[in-house]
Amino acid sequence: MIELQQITKQYSGQAIPAVENLSLSIPVGEICVLVGPSGCGKSTILRMINRMIEPTSGKILIHGEEVAYKDSDQLRMGIGYVIQQIGLLPHRTIAENIAIVPRLYRWPKEKIARRVDELIVMMGLDLEKTRGSYPSQLSGGQMQRVGVARAMAVDPPIMLMDEPFGAVDPIARNNLQDELLRLQKALKKTIVFVTHDINEAIKMGDHIAILNAGKIVQFGTPEEMLTKPKNGFVENFIGHDRVVKKLSLFDVEEAMQPVGCLVSDHELGSAGKKMKAAGTEVAFLLNEEGKPFGHVTLAEFKEAKGDLDGLRKRALRTRTTFTQTTTALPEALSLLLEFDVDYLGILKGEELCGMLSFRDIRRHVYRKEGW
Amino acid sequence: MTLKDFLNFVMKNKDTILEYTGNHFTLVLSAMLISLVIWIPVGLLLTKSDRWAARVLGIANTIFCIPSLSMFAILVTIPIFGLGRKSALLALVLYAMMPLIRSVYDGVKSVDGHVIEAARGMGMSQGRILREILVPLGMPIIFAGFRITVVMTTGIAAIATYIGERNLGRFISEGLVRSNTPMMVTGALIISVIAIGLDTMLGVLEHGMVPKGLRHSRARGGAG
Repeated sequence: MIELQQITKQYSGQAIPAVENLSLSIPVGEICVLVGPSGCGKSTILRMINRMIEPTSGKILIHGEEVAYKDSDQLRMGIGYVIQQIGLLPHRTIAENIAIVPRLYRWPKEKIARRVDELIVMMGLDLEKTRGSYPSQLSGGQMQRVGVARAMAVDPPIMLMDEPFGAVDPIARNNLQDELLRLQKALKKTIVFVTHDINEAIKMGDHIAILNAGKIVQFGTPEEMLTKPKNGFVENFIGHDRVVKKLSLFDVEEAMQPVGCLVSDHELGSAGKKMKAAGTEVAFLLNEEGKPFGHVTLAEFKEAKGDLDGLRKRALRTRTTFTQTTTALPEALSLLLEFDVDYLGILKGEELCGMLSFRDIRRHVYRKEGW
Repeated sequence: MTLKDFLNFVMKNKDTILEYTGNHFTLVLSAMLISLVIWIPVGLLLTKSDRWAARVLGIANTIFCIPSLSMFAILVTIPIFGLGRKSALLALVLYAMMPLIRSVYDGVKSVDGHVIEAARGMGMSQGRILREILVPLGMPIIFAGFRITVVMTTGIAAIATYIGERNLGRFISEGLVRSNTPMMVTGALIISVIAIGLDTMLGVLEHGMVPKGLRHSRARGGAG
């Protein structure tokens, strides 16, 4: 656990302290995001944890030990550090860059080489191509992967990340975020993550601290931030689309309902009866191989008045309205609107395992927080 | 003057030429050695304090502006230096101050601050950062300054002949006085060959000392 106790940082020549009497406990094994407008002190806080900046007053404890009493180089060797500009050594190969901290620990050569290869693969980079190349030969996204790999080289329990994905393009950023979350599931590091982007904070954080003018305005889970913003500042900072943002906390699997009624193609005529029997408004159609290829609603069935070919044609128009269980709710909502349908079929791999309607999304968001 | 006159002069004065060339070399080499030992650490130290850097670079600039004849004349009047090698060495070391300090300072300062920040953040010590990052990355600029200094020192050393140095400069000054063209040409030619030769050698050395990753990124026109 990282504990900040009444930390104040006053830069000389500045009237207002950058950080003022701030206390914060960062739980172990979680991503804690510090978010706020520029100049709110979030980077200063991060850099005080590994003593890149010394606080004017107050204590910082890591696992109960005060960092001020530790040798600063030793302290930093044990904490992963990633900055927006990455700071790869341009005159060293990627392998040498990743090996910096292991070398400081005097690991044997073979152990370093093995670890470097492992990390390059773990970060989804091409091992043979990447290992011997220089930073200038890589793209921004690849460089940032190397930056993360380098910070993880000796498997430090704590990582400090200062706007790590701020300088890469949106697609690469999204990939990097997903990758870090995937790694974090297995690695369970204590990560302090600084960003000015509230969307990134909501996506990445187990806990979020919203800061303004050197003070914590609100500390809590993303759900708490979105549902119970403490004051106008938090509300404004999150933005007026906070309900839509909240959707991004969930994926389809959490909100979907079971498929009420499955009808094989040749039983299309009895679909109405089946739906009524199952007490549902929609039936998903299966082809000869048992694969879903669309759906019909009860209303459509009635409208067709026994014209099965017409009904089948209608159903075929919905043959693309399926998505995977891991889809985030905003995307699912967007698909519902794009296809102009009432239901999405939810697949797990190739298997139909549920369905999702506008009502399910709304119900899920409200039930979850009891709005 | 014909080529024959020139060759005659060289054949007749072989020993003197060798002696003067040797003296010239030892003066330039010892001045460079002393300069490197003093000015490189000073240049590195100055990167720690912008205020001191401004002061010291200002002094170095002023010294550099003094014409070399005046400089030699001033030094000779100081009793502990007087005529001869001590004054010559001191003058050359003072002239080397500006280009060496400046290039070391600029070279180190040109290193991307984020690289240093990341290195510090990983727990690299100050000394390690200096050895493994600042010096190698500043090397292209440092080396450029070093090459200029060597060429310049070779030239100014010739002028030290006026304060008693028996080196290649003497051929030029005496040749002028005696209107002895072969003598002048011999001095001028050998000095030029030494300067060009040293610069070429350092160029080869530089190629080996500038880190490979830097060469690559420069060839590509910066980070891609």
